[in-house]
Amino acid sequence: MNLFRSEEHLRRWLEQNGDEPGATMTARKLGDLANAWWSDRLAPGWRPHTRDENQKILEGLGLTDSFWQLP
Amino acid sequence: MEERDLHVRNHVYRRFVELGRAPTFAELQGELVADVEGALLRLQDAHALVLEPDRLEIRMANPFSAVPTPYLVEADGRSWYGNCAWDAFGIPAALHVDGHISSTCPDCGEPIEIDIREKKPMPDEHVFHVVVPAEHWWDDIVFT
Repeated sequence: MNLFRSEEHLRRWLEQNGDEPGATMTARKLGDLANAWWSDRLAPGWRPHTRDENQKILEGLGLTDSFWQLP
Repeated sequence: MEERDLHVRNHVYRRFVELGRAPTFAELQGELVADVEGALLRLQDAHALVLEPDRLEIRMANPFSAVPTPYLVEADGRSWYGNCAWDAFGIPAALHVDGHISSTCPDCGEPIEIDIREKKPMPDEHVFHVVVPAEHWWDDIVFT
């Protein structure tokens, strides 16, 4: 899960490594995802997220295609 | 997850924040009245943390990494490593503070410096890429 300077840099890196493209998003959206996913991690009353809770977080950010389907 | 394991898990996270590194197994044994070994193994099975493959030491307490990575995060006067870009963004989110992420572009090696201010990255034009589909993240979480 890496951060690139631009789509051009990502394309070049994928070509050089012979990797298939995965999923991409902007840093702005990653910030929203990180806040939704991690903001309770240090709360005293933390409980593990269920699979469905995590899936709802992804869906809430429009990450609904098969790539983002949790097991 | 049982309360006894949650207690150990919360202690690990609290110490990780305080120390700027993972607490060692020996430290945890000294600080907790608990079956630390059993708790760590159960927490790993529950994907609540990740141990080193060959010893009872913490490798990941996501979003924090116990080993240096390309994602250094400074926040609240201290610094930690994130396991990946997502986790690096997750450290200020978990701490509920502003922060700064230092990394390099995997393609060209040029520095990437991002401030997190009021939950938003500045600048925000960088591109985040995920190789492994969500279904397989925990098949090999260190690679993911």
